[in-house]
Amino acid sequence: MEPETQARAGSGAAISVRALQVAYSGTRVLHGLDLDFAPGSFTALLGSSGCGKTTLLRSLSGFVPVESGSIVVGGKDVAGLPPEKRGMAMVFQSYALWPHMTVLQNIGYGLKLRGKSRAEIAAKVGEMLNFLGLSGYENRKVTALSGGQRQRVALGRALAIDPGILLLDEPLSNLDAKIRLTMRHEIRAIQQRLGLTAVHVTHDREEAMTMADRLVIMQAGRIAQVGTPEEVYDRPASAFVANFMGAENVLPLQVERAEGKAAVTAGGARATLEAEAAAALPTGEALAYFRDDVASLDALDAPAGSGDLIVPGTIAARAYPGGIYRYKVEAAGRQITVDDVGRHELGTKVGLRIPLQRLHIFPASEAGIAA
Amino acid sequence: MSLSQRQLALLLIAPGFALVAALFLYPLCFSLVSAFTGPEGGFSLQAFAKAWELYSGDVVFTVVIVVASCLLTALLAIVIAGTLTLGENRYIVGTLRALYRWPLFIPFIVAAQCMRTFLAKNGLMNNSFVAMGLMEPLQAVSFLDWRGIIATFVWKQMPFVALLLAGALAALDRATLEAGRNLGASRLRVLVELALPQVMPQLLVALVLSFVTMLSVLSVPMMVAGSQPTMLTVDMAFRINAYGDYATANALGVITYLISAGAAIIYLKRGMAKEGTP
Repeated sequence: MEPETQARAGSGAAISVRALQVAYSGTRVLHGLDLDFAPGSFTALLGSSGCGKTTLLRSLSGFVPVESGSIVVGGKDVAGLPPEKRGMAMVFQSYALWPHMTVLQNIGYGLKLRGKSRAEIAAKVGEMLNFLGLSGYENRKVTALSGGQRQRVALGRALAIDPGILLLDEPLSNLDAKIRLTMRHEIRAIQQRLGLTAVHVTHDREEAMTMADRLVIMQAGRIAQVGTPEEVYDRPASAFVANFMGAENVLPLQVERAEGKAAVTAGGARATLEAEAAAALPTGEALAYFRDDVASLDALDAPAGSGDLIVPGTIAARAYPGGIYRYKVEAAGRQITVDDVGRHELGTKVGLRIPLQRLHIFPASEAGIAA
Repeated sequence: MSLSQRQLALLLIAPGFALVAALFLYPLCFSLVSAFTGPEGGFSLQAFAKAWELYSGDVVFTVVIVVASCLLTALLAIVIAGTLTLGENRYIVGTLRALYRWPLFIPFIVAAQCMRTFLAKNGLMNNSFVAMGLMEPLQAVSFLDWRGIIATFVWKQMPFVALLLAGALAALDRATLEAGRNLGASRLRVLVELALPQVMPQLLVALVLSFVTMLSVLSVPMMVAGSQPTMLTVDMAFRINAYGDYATANALGVITYLISAGAAIIYLKRGMAKEGTP
């Protein structure tokens, strides 16, 4: 948790999820989740389609009935309450604005439900629109607004009721790329300014990393890892997380231990690690996961140096995405993606320099699913 | 001689057009002309004067019955379609979904006959109430009057309106309804304030169609209600069958047409007002 966020925490409420189980017509989708959301924190639920992240958000908001477990907000279990009694404001992927109402009526609807007078509603909506950079849009029809403006109105509608908790259900995925970047920043800034507890569902890794101060990676209805963006990116807890966070190259390894040291072999190459670095490695068959920028091309007979593997390989494909060349190298029976500044011909025999320190290594038995 | 594209198109629609002209336009024009023709030929409003003199009460009766039936139909259809869309009890929603369309498949004349046996003084409804001890046999009254007509119309048209309305509600973006509940609106408020305004055009179409259907039904007022007052369809049938008085019957037909045109105009005006605003 970032202290900066906590210091500003004002109106945000804490959520505590315990042993949460959710099933859709007999098929269990969430398998006993335990998760805490600190007041004023911005948490992103991240995972591939069908992992249960949207179901978790919808069970927080009350649109999906909970099979068992509790959702405690402000000391009260809300798991059995209908959506209208939970006091959480949600922003939807489709904006979900009411087309028969003006901007004023859309944003003011929650206030109207709370029995506020017309004058109070007009004042609050004016303030909200000012806040969102939409001053003077009160009497526009929402159907006459652009996608970015609509999403801002939807955000304003959610914020107008001063919620302690803001739920964001892929709010940016219908926007075009440029506006999406602006909105990321805006939503994050608003959340910090108001000190809200935000829960954001997304399948966009970069979006989650840039907006949230904590990531929850979900896999098949379970939590795979919880941590800051740095922790999850640099120290993935499992092969799934490593793979999901972009370490898509997979290299089979053999790790042998002798006298406190570890010898790592892969595709005919061999390297030795000293005691401290060796301790973290599993023994036996293992799989290493790494990103495209980890390996580099070198001569076949280049000196290995300490802690580097030089795996012999052949260049199988080349692409030029701009600035650097991207190669597919056949090595150790796999295709490894490597970025390099130099241009090499297809079929060239190369040595693939792979620094062991930058690999995410998991025992082959556990990693099998993602390999 | 070769045919142009335009001529070919006209040739292609000619059979269909001829059918419409022979079976619809010709009789319509014929009745219109007949309504405005005097006994000695020539233009005359005599038939309308007679129709108004004899049946002005029935014109009002017809309008009141049909409007009241439409309002009740709308109310019940909203309740049913709303329950189908926003209901959370699986059993209630399932039962309702299975049952509500049945009256659609029953002809008006059968519905009228069923209502006769159901609403009569010693009909099924009163007998059931008596058997349940809810009332004394002496208190039983017949509902076979204007109330019977309305009950039959509503029972018969409500599934049609509910069907169109439920379809329209199901096609709404669910998130717009969830957004309302998320902000604190009860399901009733979501239905009334958020869902219905979005499906108003479909509800109006269904009601205008029902209005015109009810105006043209002969069997129900004839079988369910007594003789006076009654609906214009019965009067028309009577003028023709008893007196062979086509002129007055046609004048009543024109009046009926004007009433249904009134409903259509209200609908079209609303549609245009909606399109007019950005």
